[in-house]
Amino acid sequence: MLEVRSLRAGYGAINVLWDVSLSFPKGELTAIVGPNGAGKTTLFRALMGLVPHQGEIRLDGRALKAKTWDLIEAGLVMVPEGRLVFKDMSVEENLSLGAYPRRCRKAQSRNLERVYELFPRLKERRGQPAGSLSGGEAQMVAMGRGMMSEPRILLIDEPSLGLAPVIVKEVLGIVRRLKAQGVTIALIEQNTHLALSVADNVHLMRSGKVLLSQKAAQVDLDRLHDLYLAREGGPANP
Amino acid sequence: MLELSQQAIFSGLLVGSVYALVALGIALTFGAMKIINLAHGELVLLAAYMAYFIESRTGWNPYAAIPLAFAITAVVSIAVYLLIDRIKLHRELNSLILTFAIGIILTNGILLVFASDVRSTNSPVLQDALSFHTVYAMKGELTAFVVSLAVMSALWWWLKLSWYGRAVRAVSSNRDAAMLMGIDPRRVELAAFLVAGILASVAGVALFTMSVVQPALGPALTVKAFVVTVLAGVGSIPGVFCAALLLGVTEAMTVTLASSALQELVGMVLFLLVLFFMPNGLFGARARRG
Repeated sequence: MLEVRSLRAGYGAINVLWDVSLSFPKGELTAIVGPNGAGKTTLFRALMGLVPHQGEIRLDGRALKAKTWDLIEAGLVMVPEGRLVFKDMSVEENLSLGAYPRRCRKAQSRNLERVYELFPRLKERRGQPAGSLSGGEAQMVAMGRGMMSEPRILLIDEPSLGLAPVIVKEVLGIVRRLKAQGVTIALIEQNTHLALSVADNVHLMRSGKVLLSQKAAQVDLDRLHDLYLAREGGPANP
Repeated sequence: MLELSQQAIFSGLLVGSVYALVALGIALTFGAMKIINLAHGELVLLAAYMAYFIESRTGWNPYAAIPLAFAITAVVSIAVYLLIDRIKLHRELNSLILTFAIGIILTNGILLVFASDVRSTNSPVLQDALSFHTVYAMKGELTAFVVSLAVMSALWWWLKLSWYGRAVRAVSSNRDAAMLMGIDPRRVELAAFLVAGILASVAGVALFTMSVVQPALGPALTVKAFVVTVLAGVGSIPGVFCAALLLGVTEAMTVTLASSALQELVGMVLFLLVLFFMPNGLFGARARRG
């Protein structure tokens, strides 16, 4: 269980997250939905120690260390959006960097085969520089790289961004399979229908705050959309 | 005239390999930390003077000085890294001033200890000339070329296949993404500085065995490294190597056909021509299309 309590984070003088409290239950898939600029990515970056923050972050009841590389060694892994691939390195070099944490190095070649099985396209392009890939392919590299890090908790930043609907389905299938293997998953998704179709829990964020936290099965879609779009019925300015 | 030109091309190629080592040292720290180490030429010079020190005191081959040279450059590299690391504001710009100052300190330190005389190797083995048909080379020049090639191959291997080397490339490419791979960027930056120190110590010793050194040579070496980097247009090792050979040959031809007074000038002219007509360098545009 990954828990966040009264988290504040921002960049320099600009605060992005205001008192964010939410949790990611063990072995479940939790989606974070919300419009652009809601602070979803900043939340993930704060969890990974990439953004200065105040507040409590607890993993299985214990406070998390602040150094990003210690978190990754502990099994907390983030798949950033596809723009964050190493552009001048080949697809295969990108993937193998996912095995950089010491605990993942032994199983590197086995994991690489697994990623290539899931994304045959990446195998075709293994020698190509990642900067020459399409947005969707870069997203696959980011995803595959995260899987190479053998996550216990996986934070995925908008896997559907720039992907064709068919491939989105494939990627979500892979996310489900990871969950079935016992990986705790947190997923950022702007598309609420997509998020609700895979998630166990949903958190809605807007303007740096959490407006709604519910089991996915209990979500009232109309109310979710009202809050999402700040329409009548929801608070206009949370 | 033809024979002279052939000789110039040959000598230029040999000295060019050492320029490549100097340029790769600067490229490595620039890649990892996005700062330009203006004191890198002085580091190379410091290593050259260690070679002189060992040779003049013990009579050993100057290459025996590499461990000592590396120990000294490592200490200076770590000091430079720790000082740069303390700069929080406008690091790119302020590090230029800082490393420029360190360069001046090193130059004057060398001047104080070793005096301003011009030094070169006295080793009869290294000064022995070998002839290949119409061209000649000192054994020292050939050794420097072979050693430089070997060190560049080792660097290529390190960057391509070792975990630390890959981490250096990852940090150069995207610092945030590298951190998400579990890489501690500060350790990687320090590693890059130390490897640049190794490159500088080999380059310095090689330079001493094939050419003459004097305390004011540091900035000239740094400038040559810049010319090579701009000429290459990419940070790839083969690209830098070819550009360095080109600079070496151009300089040697100028000295042979015109005057040695123009040696430094021609490098800068080459620099400006490349900036004007091929701003992406010789290999940059192709690499970008890749």
